[in-house]
Amino acid sequence: MLEALSAEALKMRTHKATWFLVWLFPIAFTIIMLLIIGAGVMGFEAPDRPNAADWIENTTLIWFVPNNAIGRYLICAFVAVLFAGEYGWNTWKLVVPHRRRASLIAAKYALTILLLAISFTLTALLLTGLNLADDALTGDAVPAGLGAALLWDSHSKAALAALAPVLISIAYASLAAVLTRSTIAALVIAIVATTIEQVILGFGPMLYAKFPSIVWPLYHALPGHHISNLAEFIREGSALKREFPGGLVVDLGWPTSLAILAAWIAALWGATFAVFNRQDIN
Amino acid sequence: MNTAAGNLAPTASMDPGLRRDDANSPVLELVGLSKTYGRRGGGVRAVRDVSLSVGAGEVYGFLGPNGAGKSTTIRMLIGLIAPTAGEARLFGEDLRRHPAVLRRVGSLVDGGNFYPFLSGRRNLEVLARTQGNGAERIDGLLDQVGLAKDGRRKVKGYSTGMRQRLGVAAALLGDPDLVILDEPVNGLDAAGIQEMRALIRSLAVDRGKTVFLSSHLLHEVQQVCDRVAIISKGEIVRESTIADLLRQDDGLRLEAVPVETAAAALESRWAVERDGDSLIVRATRAEAPEVVRRLVGAGADLFRLAPEQRNLEEVFLSITQAESDDA
Repeated sequence: MLEALSAEALKMRTHKATWFLVWLFPIAFTIIMLLIIGAGVMGFEAPDRPNAADWIENTTLIWFVPNNAIGRYLICAFVAVLFAGEYGWNTWKLVVPHRRRASLIAAKYALTILLLAISFTLTALLLTGLNLADDALTGDAVPAGLGAALLWDSHSKAALAALAPVLISIAYASLAAVLTRSTIAALVIAIVATTIEQVILGFGPMLYAKFPSIVWPLYHALPGHHISNLAEFIREGSALKREFPGGLVVDLGWPTSLAILAAWIAALWGATFAVFNRQDIN
Repeated sequence: MNTAAGNLAPTASMDPGLRRDDANSPVLELVGLSKTYGRRGGGVRAVRDVSLSVGAGEVYGFLGPNGAGKSTTIRMLIGLIAPTAGEARLFGEDLRRHPAVLRRVGSLVDGGNFYPFLSGRRNLEVLARTQGNGAERIDGLLDQVGLAKDGRRKVKGYSTGMRQRLGVAAALLGDPDLVILDEPVNGLDAAGIQEMRALIRSLAVDRGKTVFLSSHLLHEVQQVCDRVAIISKGEIVRESTIADLLRQDDGLRLEAVPVETAAAALESRWAVERDGDSLIVRATRAEAPEVVRRLVGAGADLFRLAPEQRNLEEVFLSITQAESDDA
């Protein structure tokens, strides 16, 4: 398995998709921060006096990327390239005879998570460092009470909340990739699935008024609410309550959301392994 | 394309690590192997009931026209597609139950499939890491296949022949006991073909490897293979040694002067055809002395007499044509 992961890393580390869709985050956030620092140094920005919580929140922005649709589209795009690229390049024929198929897929999952974790952690470190640099260069005082323990607590909670949407996005795109054998088709399907999930989450109460018998079970079954609910528990320690017409309230405990998300991820990842194991590679 | 003469030529002598455990059992055995695409009722039968056996150290040719089922059979052999029926056994193990046996197999399919954004060398590194060995052989193999200078270039800039050479290097990377080559000379120029031929023979002769070679280029197969199977419309229609396949017992070719006198002396007993200055007599090898006696008796001078040698192309065409006519 480690050999397969090592091969996967060697293969993808110089690929353009990795640069555009993984290293994009530290690069883009660094550029934005440098522009902000530049504006501050040149006096285009008013002096800032945030408290410690707000200051830290600025450094955890990267962990919120997987919690919004655009961020998830980017993750889906990388996964689509990683998994479906082998069909496009016709390279499954090169590697499949030499390694169990399950370990090849497992290596792809491991590499995706590893690269995203490195990219997000690097971005978080850069944001923290650049925020400190910003304060030093513009003369803003570092908020009182800011310390390593508080930073670690905030970042670890934010990272944990980002885990579920990352895993679900990987699941959508990987299954679509092995089913369609096409990067574009996999990306389109993953985007459509993510969008449906987000629409039901965002407009559920409004849609419920017109299609109650469809929206209510969908809202409970799809991962959208459960991802947000878990994030709410991790950050705030309480459930995310959504009010629906007729006095209905969705108020679920974290074990329920965790179980439903785990079922989704296990089912989609399991289906990916099963489909690939039985697939003819022509 | 890189045409450095001698690049594909063998460099290693008998491999000290060669395994002898299967010397007496077939290295490769197909039993009733079949593949049907689509639903059983309206499905397309790509391969039907293919059975063959290849012994250790043999160079086995798998011949057939395009679309005959060669590539489908090879893909079943290396675990890329699952057979609908039958069994593929490698080194005595059922491939479906023991896929790890493929670690002893190196293969080249579809002219070599590589990551276009990586260099040739990096592609081999990826493969070596995937299979867990072979990294130390990369430089030697690149040199052996004539890609030492181009190893650091991206594969997307390679010609067909260069990809083919890299494919051969990839097939040999794990120092396999069985080498499966699907159309290995496609895209190679004359020098490359000659080098490939030498390499294939040396794999078997010098290094004790077993080679399973598919091709539609009959001349190549004739030159390097010990035995061949001819596949047509998904079925094996003939399997034999090259010598047996080419042997023709009902023809003698002779040169005699005057040719008219010679023809007249033989026509009363056998069918005679004129082919330029030669005559083809439909007589068996055992009847050759009688042919000579009749020519001498008729006063014709005999300059040459030999069994008529068909080439593989003629045999192949006659067999596959007969199959088409029967269908």
